[in-house]
Amino acid sequence: MSKAKANENHPDRRSALAALLMAPLAPGLALALQDPIALEEAKRIEVVKRVSPSVVAVVTGGGSGVVISPDGYALTNFHVVQGQGGALRCGLPDGNLYDAVLVGLDKIGDVALIKLLPKKDKDGKDTPFPFAVIGDSDTVKVGDWSFAMGNPFLLAADFTPTVTFGLVSGTHRYQYPERGMFEYTDCIQVDTSINPGNSGGPLFDMNGKLVGINGRGSFDKRGRVNSGVGYAITLNQILNFMGSLRSGLLVDHASLGATVATANDEEVERTQVLVSNLINSDAERRGLALGDEIIRLAGRRVSTVNQFKNVLGIYPKGWRLPVTYRRRVEGAGSQTRQVLVRLMGYEKREVDESGRPIAPGGKPAPRPARPGQPMPPKPGENPGEGPGGKEEGPPSPALKLYEEKAGYANFLVNKQKRDEALAGLKNAMGDLASAGGLWTAKGKGFLGEKKMEAPVKFEWSELAQGKPEIIRALVDGVDFALEPLKPDLTAQALRDPAGSGGMLTALHLMRLFLAKGEKAFPQGMTHGGETPLYPPLDQDPEDWWPLRKNAQVLEGTLGGTRALAFITEEKGTDGKVWNRLACLEVWLAADEDPCELHLDRVKPVGGGRSMPHLITVRHNQVNFLRLEVDSWELR
Amino acid sequence: MGAALGFFCASMMVLAQDPPLADVAKRVDARMVKVFGAGGVRGLPAYGTGIMVSPTGHVLTVNNHILDTTELRVHLADGTRVMAKVVASEPELDLALLKIEDSTAPDDLPFFDLIAAAKASPPKPGTLVLGFSNQFQIATRDEPLTVQRGILAGITPLAARTGAFLVPYRGPALIVDAITNNPGAAGGALTTRSGELLAIVGREVSNELTQTWVNYAIPVWASVELTDAGGATRKVSVSELVEKKEKYKPSNPADRSREKPATVETGILLVPDVVERTPPYVDYLTQGGAGLRAGLRPDDLILSVEGTTVATIASWKEMMAGRKPGQPVRLEVRRGEKIELITLTPDKPANPPAAAKPVAAPSAR
Repeated sequence: MSKAKANENHPDRRSALAALLMAPLAPGLALALQDPIALEEAKRIEVVKRVSPSVVAVVTGGGSGVVISPDGYALTNFHVVQGQGGALRCGLPDGNLYDAVLVGLDKIGDVALIKLLPKKDKDGKDTPFPFAVIGDSDTVKVGDWSFAMGNPFLLAADFTPTVTFGLVSGTHRYQYPERGMFEYTDCIQVDTSINPGNSGGPLFDMNGKLVGINGRGSFDKRGRVNSGVGYAITLNQILNFMGSLRSGLLVDHASLGATVATANDEEVERTQVLVSNLINSDAERRGLALGDEIIRLAGRRVSTVNQFKNVLGIYPKGWRLPVTYRRRVEGAGSQTRQVLVRLMGYEKREVDESGRPIAPGGKPAPRPARPGQPMPPKPGENPGEGPGGKEEGPPSPALKLYEEKAGYANFLVNKQKRDEALAGLKNAMGDLASAGGLWTAKGKGFLGEKKMEAPVKFEWSELAQGKPEIIRALVDGVDFALEPLKPDLTAQALRDPAGSGGMLTALHLMRLFLAKGEKAFPQGMTHGGETPLYPPLDQDPEDWWPLRKNAQVLEGTLGGTRALAFITEEKGTDGKVWNRLACLEVWLAADEDPCELHLDRVKPVGGGRSMPHLITVRHNQVNFLRLEVDSWELR
Repeated sequence: MGAALGFFCASMMVLAQDPPLADVAKRVDARMVKVFGAGGVRGLPAYGTGIMVSPTGHVLTVNNHILDTTELRVHLADGTRVMAKVVASEPELDLALLKIEDSTAPDDLPFFDLIAAAKASPPKPGTLVLGFSNQFQIATRDEPLTVQRGILAGITPLAARTGAFLVPYRGPALIVDAITNNPGAAGGALTTRSGELLAIVGREVSNELTQTWVNYAIPVWASVELTDAGGATRKVSVSELVEKKEKYKPSNPADRSREKPATVETGILLVPDVVERTPPYVDYLTQGGAGLRAGLRPDDLILSVEGTTVATIASWKEMMAGRKPGQPVRLEVRRGEKIELITLTPDKPANPPAAAKPVAAPSAR
């Protein structure tokens, strides 16, 4: 080991290095290069200064946060806003106190999305917020430098954030949940000081990109202050949940519907993740069996249970993820397959007996007593709370933007997002409500590549009070019909034709939804966040994961049947963005596969209306029927 | 030509001075192991860290309670799980050497050449250092260890405690400003910015005087000078332990400085004092010694001395330290299911007490 190497960061090194460089170089060039440390420091100061205006001091609850959009959306920890209701108060480094409203909650992932209410400028316009630019947290490496900003020990009486600087000690870390909450999966471990009050604040990379939300630390004998091990939730995980958080949901994490264990066999040199238990789930229906080795999940290699939990933990309930597994076959080595598995929920109960959501009404976390704990400050440290409790004053304007409902973080936001999606759909498809008469779609039918001899026709009867609704489908010379409102319908009738999973029922709900929107469902519809949608391919691709497209989901229930409408954003040739009903999933029972209607090739049909000209009926991961529509008739 | 060459070298300096930390971390991590053994109670972790010091699977770690098991397991950097056993230890250095016991393990495992590292100049205070350990057991199987960065704050003889007990190591220690010594970190590596091994991360300890937490590591060049009862000196060093491996002979317990001078000879050898509260079981009785004369037997558990309960070997030593030769001491011992009353009359110690002093950091080199 040379002396120069051993003492790299010794202050003496600068002059020694400068002297070395100075000798052979032209003076001007030498000057620019002479002090890389000073240059690095200058850059760091510039970055901190640039990102600092976006750092939030969450006054209600006592913690930190970060603004991520010019219209005031901000991230913090669930445990910071827990028990604070829908209206919050936040300070920004501009010295101003802002009202904020709760938008979305992820109590397992310990994330809250809030929205700060902008101040008006002198023309009455909303003043845009300074915001942090989101980076790709998967590019963070062990050994990268990082800095945290926030309000440790609630020092920032004038909302000027504290900066702490350190090393990324680990990536893709797993930290066990605590009382069913605060499961930190795939998180970033830092030796950057994270103290009580830093919770919910940003972790930045050295380019000033937002890569994490600080929220937990490992403690032991040294008390509840930084002990060199802090954890940040990755922004990539939060982005997976963002569509759901922005829809006002109390989001749920996922389980696979199968339990896994790391092979503990001493003979096994390579670590393996094996299916050790299966419940009645989509995983089981997709063919996973005991002893199967899970190799990849959502495009990532998994070789330990921690890794498996890390990958699973960053996705919401209901998402479909590709699972690649290997199965040993007697005498034939092993087979590797990939299937799309729909994730089950993680939480059993989201609502307590009284119907109130457990999370927002819950008590703030007590003083943690074991490693890996979240870091809420003590109640007495909260400057927003005087000796008489919460501060007095007029009701917060944020309350007008908040509606409490079981299962939601903010039901008003959910209704707004639903209405926006429906309005976008109506905008793109035209006025279908006024077409209350007979609908027909005629065209060519395909089973895989094979074209059917006879033309295929779908027909929907007139929607009129007192008249029976009838859906007919003429497929390959066979005439199927369903009268959905007829009493005593058999389970099979609702699922006709056999193998379709309920094509006629699905077509019925499609018509109702297109014509009536959310009024098609007696209880209306709710926004279910965002989820990936996969194209209805005839042949399974090698990897489904890159083929996914994000869709907003609207949910409604009619009778015992649940319908999920997947709405995607499309960009027209003119550059305009429009909403498409890309898929309708119709669930006749919760524990069987739905009938999927994939709707493509939306084209005008006259009268200012547009309809899909390719309808793919899919069930149990197989395309049952593809209809290329030649003509639509809407009366 | 000379100027051009000079320019080239200077550029290389700038480029070569800072290997990416991610690469350094990977290289060090490949030479580290996770150790699993005894513990899991009383806040004592059952996991620790170790440093590979030979291509055939010798692991250097701290000589702590984790090793007090026959089921010692090691997870190599690639996640391979193997059994290990303690092949040598040096209480004065508070270090132990393990050897992985797996006939199928390769004999070209990545390792640190500790003996070469021990010959390098010691770092100066102010140097940036990196800490690698499996603190809090954050990493499992093939997951990489925790990396921390700190500044070397100083090099000084250690005087520290773990709870009520003195840390056995009293030699030179590297003190760092980072919180490296967390649960499970003992046996971790302290390296330079470029990943060269500097020291072995020690226990979770507090300063004897101020009771504040101290983050220390035992330098690879550390040695401690002992003076035995006859006045002869012996130097024990980390290099010697690693070099001799299975052939290493640990220092005589009687030579240790931190114990109170023995004023009497009881002729009783207790079981090894490996955990903080090892109960005082009789292991061996010397021929013709006071213990054998009094009727003690191996496996007796000493319960009390003159009516005062003795729960640990440490308190036994404490209580016997001030006794006078020839003066009887009443003991209560448990033998099987029975309690026996024993009167022990200790003898004069054969030799005057020994003393040890740490060898200072080799700053002269």
